[in-house]
Amino acid sequence: MSTVLRPDVGDLRLIGFYLGKVLGGLGLVMLAPVPVALAGGEWNAAAALVLGASVSLTARWLGDAFLETRRALSWAHGMVIVALAWIVGSAFAAIPMHVTGRFSSPLATYFEAVSALTTTGMSVIHDLDHLEASMTLYRHLLQIAGGLGIIIVILALFSAGGSRVGTLYVSEARDERILPNVLRTSRFIARVTLAFLVASLAALVPALLSAGFSLARAVEHALALFLASFSTGGFSVMQASVGYYHSTAVELIVMLLMFAGMLSFALHHALWSRDLRECVEHVETRTLVVLGSGLLVLLTLGLVREGTYDTLGALVRRGLFTLVSAVSSTGHQVNAGETYLTDWGVLAPAVLVGAMAVGGMASSTAGGIKVLRVALAFKGVVHDIRRFLLPESAVVVTTYHVGRRRILRPETARAATTALLLFILSFLLGTMTALLTEDVDVTEALFEGVSVGSNIGISIGVVTPDLSPALQAVYVLQMILGRLEFVAVLVLVGYLLSFRRGSRALGGRPRADQR
Amino acid sequence: MTGPSAEEQGPERVRPRDRRRVRWPLLAVVVVLGLLLTLTTQLERAAPTGTGVAPVEGLAPPLLDTPVRCTRTDDARRLAELRAGLRPDGRLTSAIATACPRLLDGVDVVYVGEVVGDVLRRDGGAWVQVNDDPYALTVGPFGPHRQREGFSAGLAVWLPDGLHEGLGPPGRYGRRGDVVRVTGVLRRADPDDAGGLTVRADTLEVLASATTVDEPLHRPLVAAAGTAALVALAAWGWARGRARRRAR
Repeated sequence: MSTVLRPDVGDLRLIGFYLGKVLGGLGLVMLAPVPVALAGGEWNAAAALVLGASVSLTARWLGDAFLETRRALSWAHGMVIVALAWIVGSAFAAIPMHVTGRFSSPLATYFEAVSALTTTGMSVIHDLDHLEASMTLYRHLLQIAGGLGIIIVILALFSAGGSRVGTLYVSEARDERILPNVLRTSRFIARVTLAFLVASLAALVPALLSAGFSLARAVEHALALFLASFSTGGFSVMQASVGYYHSTAVELIVMLLMFAGMLSFALHHALWSRDLRECVEHVETRTLVVLGSGLLVLLTLGLVREGTYDTLGALVRRGLFTLVSAVSSTGHQVNAGETYLTDWGVLAPAVLVGAMAVGGMASSTAGGIKVLRVALAFKGVVHDIRRFLLPESAVVVTTYHVGRRRILRPETARAATTALLLFILSFLLGTMTALLTEDVDVTEALFEGVSVGSNIGISIGVVTPDLSPALQAVYVLQMILGRLEFVAVLVLVGYLLSFRRGSRALGGRPRADQR
Repeated sequence: MTGPSAEEQGPERVRPRDRRRVRWPLLAVVVVLGLLLTLTTQLERAAPTGTGVAPVEGLAPPLLDTPVRCTRTDDARRLAELRAGLRPDGRLTSAIATACPRLLDGVDVVYVGEVVGDVLRRDGGAWVQVNDDPYALTVGPFGPHRQREGFSAGLAVWLPDGLHEGLGPPGRYGRRGDVVRVTGVLRRADPDDAGGLTVRADTLEVLASATTVDEPLHRPLVAAAGTAALVALAAWGWARGRARRRAR
C-alpha cells in the first residue's frame, strides 16, 4: 500500500498562493530597471520590462484574491513551492528577455533566465556589448535575487507568511537558521547585503574612475560588479568580463566580493558579532584554507610548468583571480574562455575543474558540492578507517564544528556523500550530453559540465548562442538541480507522480492539516 | 443515511470526480504558460526593423579562413607550419588569436574592429575593447535589425597617447562606435597587462566614424505592456477588495 497522499485541490491552492507571492517578487525585480530604461530612452526595453512585471504581478494578485488559504505548509509543500519557484519563476523572468529578440529560441531565453537566477552566469545572449543598460541591470538584479534566494528576497520585502514560510527557507537549500526567527534571519541577510553594497560602491567607483571611466559609467559598472560578484553570479556588462577593466584594483575588490559571497551567512553573522573564534573553528573555514591552498599550489605549478605567464604579477592576477572565481562559483573571467584550453596546459584547467566542483560554503550564495559536504564526507571516510584500525571495543567519535562542536553521525556523513554522488552524476550527465550533441573533446565537455552543474559559469567555449537545444535543456536541468541541491526537485517529481499513484486521505475526510 | 466508513472505503479508492478537480487547475496553468509563450514569441517576431549601418568595406581577408586551435603541447615545428599557412596580407581576427595565442605572439599584425564600451584613458595611453564580430563589421549593432550573429567578440587594444585622442564615442546600445584599423604587435601574455592577450597599437586609422543606430519603437510591444499593466492594476484592485471584504 502506498503511503504517499494524493494531492488535492487544497494542496494546489496552497502551492499556487505561495508561488504567486514569489512571482510578485520577481515582478518587482522587473520593475526596478524601468526608470533606467526611461532615462536612457530605451523604450522597447521599458515596455518589455513592464510587460513582464505586469504579468508576474497579475499572477501574484490573482493568487491573493482567489487562492488564500489557512492550510498549514508541510515539508512537501515547501519543497514543491521552492522547486516551482525556480522553474516557473525562471519562465516569468524570461518574458522581458524573450521579447527583446536577442536569444535564438524560447529555450535559449529560459536558459538565460535560469542561469541568472541560479547564479550560474553562463550566457547565450547575442551582442551583449550593445545591450540596453536597463536590460543589463535586469540580468544582474536577477542574479542577486537568485543568489540570496528568491524566498529570502520575498521574505525581506514583504514579511510574507511569517513563521509559516520557515519550511520554504529550509527547502531553498539553506539549512542554517542564523537567528532563531526565519524572518530575522532573512532581514540579517538583507542587512549584510546592503552593507556590502555600500562598501563595494565606495571602493569600486574610485577604482573605476582611476581606471579611466566617467562617473556615470563607473557607478553603472560598480553596481553591476557588486550584484554579479556578491551573488556569485558572474554576469558582466561586457563580453570580456572582468578582463575588460585592465585594473588590479578592480580585480582585487571583485575578488574580495566573490570571497564574501562564498562565505556562509552564518560566518557573516559570526564576523558581524565579532565572534572570530567561531570563524576560525568552523569546519568550512578550515577545510577551505587547506583545500584552497592546495589548489592554489597546484594551479601555480601547472601554469609555471606550461610557461603560460612570464611574470609573478601575471601569475597572481590571472591564476589567483580565476581560482577564486571558480571556488566561489562566481564565474568572472580575466581570460578568453578558449585560452584555458589553448594556453593553460592540462594541470591548471584540471585544478579549475576540481575547484568548480567543490564550490563555496553551505548556506551562502555560492554553488557547487559545498565545502561542508566535502569536509563531512572526508571526515566520514577517516572515521570508517579509524574504526577498522582500532580494536572492536573502542568507541570512535568524530566531531566537527559548525556553530558548536557536533558529533558526526552516520546519517550526516551519508547525506553528504549522497549529495556528492548526485553532483557527480549531474556532471556526468552534462559531460556525456555535450559529447553526444556538440563537436567538443572530453576536456571541454567535462569543464563545461562541471561549471554548469556547480552553477559556476566559467566557460571554456562550449556554451555559445548556437548551443544545441538538447544540451541547453540538460544544462537547464543541471543548473536547477545544482542550485536546489537535488532534494526539492526530486520531491517535486515525487509529488507529480503522486497525482497518479498516491493514495487519497482516508474516506475522503479532511486530513489533519486541512481542518 | 451514512456512507461507508473509512475502513470500508479504503485508502486506495479514488473517485474520478476528485481526480478531474485536480486536473483542471493543472491544465489551466499549462494553458496560461503556453499562451504566454505564444504571446511573447509573436511579439518578438513582430518587432519592426529600422535602418542599420552599412557594412565596413575594403576589409582585408582574415589571416586564416578557419581559426586553427593549438595547445600548449604543440611544438615549434607545428607552429611554423601553421604560420606558413597564413595569408600574407591578411588581418588578425579575435577568433584566430584566442584559438592559438602562441601562433602570432610578438608578431606585427593588422586588426580591424569597432571600439565598444569605454575609452579607458590612463597612464600615457588608453585601453579600448575592439570587437571584430559581425555586429561590428557587417550587420551593425542588434536592435535596428534582428539578425542573430552570436557572441560579441574582440580583443583588448592599448593605444599610446597620440592615437586615442581622435576617437569618437564608443559603441553601446543605440550606437556603433568608430571602426578602426590598428597595426601593432600581438602579445599573448602582455606583461604590461598582467598577462592579458592584447594588441599594442603603433598606428590607428578610423575606417568608419561612430554613428547612432536607432531602434524603431515596437508599437505592438508597447500596446501589450500597457494592456498588461491595466490588467495588473485591475487584479490589484480586485485582490484588495476581496481582502477588505474578508477582513470585515
